[in-house]
This record gives sequence, structure tokens and C-alpha cells, in this order.
Amino acid sequence: MTAVHQVLSSAGPYDAVSIQGLLWRRLLRARGFGGHDHAATVDPRARADFRALKELRAEPGDLVVIRYSAYSPKLLPVLALPNRRLLVYHNVTPPRYLWNHHAGVAVACAVGRTQLPRFARAADLAVGDSDFNAAELREAGAAHARTLAILFDAARLEDRGTPPVPGAGPLVLVVSRLAPNKRHDLAIAAFAAWRAERAPDARLLIVGESLSPSYRAQLERIATGSGAGAAITFADGLSQRDLNAAYAAADVLLSMSEHEGFSVPLLEAFHFGLPVVARPAGAMPEVGGDAVLWDRGGDVAVTAELLELAVRDLGLREGLARRGRARLEQFAYERTAAATLRAVEEALG
Amino acid sequence: MTSPEDAFARAEEEVARRRAGGGYAGPPGGALDSSLVAEEPSREQLAEWAVIEIDPDEVLYSSRVGAPLTFFKRLLARLLRQYLVELEARQTRFNIALLARLDRLEERARMEEEAGRDSARDSSG
Repeated sequence: MTAVHQVLSSAGPYDAVSIQGLLWRRLLRARGFGGHDHAATVDPRARADFRALKELRAEPGDLVVIRYSAYSPKLLPVLALPNRRLLVYHNVTPPRYLWNHHAGVAVACAVGRTQLPRFARAADLAVGDSDFNAAELREAGAAHARTLAILFDAARLEDRGTPPVPGAGPLVLVVSRLAPNKRHDLAIAAFAAWRAERAPDARLLIVGESLSPSYRAQLERIATGSGAGAAITFADGLSQRDLNAAYAAADVLLSMSEHEGFSVPLLEAFHFGLPVVARPAGAMPEVGGDAVLWDRGGDVAVTAELLELAVRDLGLREGLARRGRARLEQFAYERTAAATLRAVEEALG
Repeated sequence: MTSPEDAFARAEEEVARRRAGGGYAGPPGGALDSSLVAEEPSREQLAEWAVIEIDPDEVLYSSRVGAPLTFFKRLLARLLRQYLVELEARQTRFNIALLARLDRLEERARMEEEAGRDSARDSSG
């Protein structure tokens, strides 16, 4: 049996890269491929699905899939293996966002970006999960890098738990890792402005794991200082069921992110028929297309007015939901699964 | 009904109208604006980073649940203070010396560029 092994720099229970690893494994297993998934660093909560990188045993003829989202020195020996390699690039956060917030992660990102050409050149096939990422790969030296969209599994969004937010009133949802490039500070400022000006009973739910406990504390201080702190809830460690419930209970998804390699929450919002207000950063426009209220300015008051439109204008909401469903067809599981298997076969040679 | 294509312009108009009436009085940006460095850290930023001085409260923050563990870590940092201060001092010494050398190299490169421009001007004149 041909084996396909996946290698990640780090694996966790909630991040998009690890979830893609799991979805690929399910697909590969269904198509008769063997292999295991490994990471340089494995969060204890992900140990059931990912093994330590040092346990990687690739036989001749096996394919090694490298999911590149950050640098780890432990990844380098993978380039010395005689196996064929498929590089999947998920993007690396520009370090400028991190220098003042987490020096260690900033260094990993800075080195990750400078080391990308080395991985790009060593790949038998290189793909980015968006045109934005594929373009960066080509710049890094993988001349024939192309786009291979993520596997979007809508079935995991069906099971509903309990929304982790009290009260009534319009609910704004932000779903992304708490990291400076995601600009939660702008989301909080826009929400506070909207609440003060238009929606005194509005609530904000911010879902995501934090870069560090101190960064979360900083965001909590920003929330308190915004004057809307009592209406803002931070939630991490949410199960998929509870996240689904949050999507179902929300009135709008907000993203003020300045750097996105893909953005799965956009697709999740489309699945729930939820209008989206977002900045057109990185790969966001190619994922969201015409189904998003794009915030092209730099004024949180305008973002607040976009929230007002997204929540109160019923005709606009229906139109966005219709367009969102059309966008989802572009990322239909059957289509991207077939493309994924074709890429694996091609990489195997 | 507003179309998605018209929404941004309509939002801008509404903000302008409300600001004229005293609404939306807060700043347009976010709290993190000043903490995000430019593509390349500036000379001033490098000088600031060169001095290593770690506040345990900044790095050893935890939630209420993790408080006992955090207390233990802070205690450990205090017990190791002599060693950690020496570590910080030696790293700072290296950083400052390196930065000073970088400054001298930049100055030399600048002077050589100027000299090159002067000699090119002299030979053409």
C-alpha cells in the first residue's frame, strides 16, 4: 500500500492547518493510502491524531506532504529524505505584526519566510491553498506552483451545541486566532462605535486561541477601555459543536484581519447564511468574492455602519446569503477532494 | 435595500452625516496601530530591543485557573534572579556592541558613497 505522510511544524486541536491535515488524512485513508501525520510540536490535545516528527518512518516510494505555515528546525531533515515531496503552503505571518508582541513567534515567522525558497526548491510539487499563497510560492522559487483549495467539510458544521454568550441583542461574531495581524483591536473599536451610535444592546463574541496569555490580557484591556467591555465575550477552547451554535446565533461575522492566507471562517459564515463584513486582505477577496461587505477604508466608524447595514437591511442580508451559497459551490468538497487526489497522484510521480 | 456594491459608499455617507452632528467622535484607528512595526525595524526600534530587560509579569501572565502555576514560576524566576540578570546583561552587552559596530559600518558606507559622488563630479567637471 502506498503511504502518504503529512508533516506540520506544529499541530493543535483548532488551527486551520491541523484541521486540513485531518481532512486530508480522512480522504487519503478512504482512497486506500496509508501513512501517518507528524508535527515538530504537538499540542497535548492533538496527540490522538498527530505523532512526533522524530517518529516519521517513510519507506521508499512513500510521499511526504509538508504543510508549511511556520519554520521549525526539526523540519529540515525532511528535506534530506529520498522520498518525493508535496509542499502545501498555508502562508507565514509577516513578522512585523509580531516583533512587539511575541519575539519568539516573530523569529519563527521571519526565519520561516527566509527559508521558504529552500522548501519550495526541494518540492516535487508545490501548491498554495489560495492564489495569494501560490503567488508567494512562485516568488520563492517554485516556478510551477499552483492553487489547490482547502477541503471544506460542511458536515462538521451540522451538530449544534450551546452558544457561549449570554443575553439578547444583535450578536457580532469574530472567529480567528488572537494574534496582532487579525486586528481584534479594530474589531473591538468598530463594535464599540456601533454600539455607542446605533445598537446599545449589541454583543460581540470573539472566538479563538490566543498567541499568548499576555496578548489575550492586552485585548481584554482594550475591550474594557472601549467602553463596551461588558458586552464583549472572549471564548477559546470551543468545541466544534459550540462554535457551530455561535455561528447559528450570530447576526454578522466581522473580520478586520490585515493578513490572511485563506480564511475558512468566511466559508463557515456562508454555510450558516451569515452576512460578513471584512477587510479585503490577502486571500480574502478570492475566497469571499462578491458575497462580502468589503471594508476598504481605515475608519472604524465606517465599519460600524457596515455592521448596521449587515444586521438591519433584510434585503441586503438575503442577497449576501444567496451569493454566499454560490461561493460555497466553488469550494464544494467533491470538487476540492478530486483536485487534492490528483495533486497527490501527480506528486507521487 | 442596499446592494453589497453600494454598501461601503453608503456607510461612508452615513458616517459623514453623523459626524457633522457630533456622532462617531472616537478615533478612526485601533489600539494596536502604534505597536505594529514597519516592514524593517527602525534603528530606534533595534536600540530599544538591544537592551534585554524582561518583566516577569509580562511573560508569566496566566488565567485565574493557572494562577498557582504562575505563582510557582514567578517564585522560580525570583530564585534564579542573579543568574537571569547576568544572562540579560551579557546579551545586552553583545547587542549594544553589535549595534555600535553596525552604526560605524553604515557611517563608513555613507562617507564612501559621498566620496565616490565627489570624485565623479570632479572628473566630469
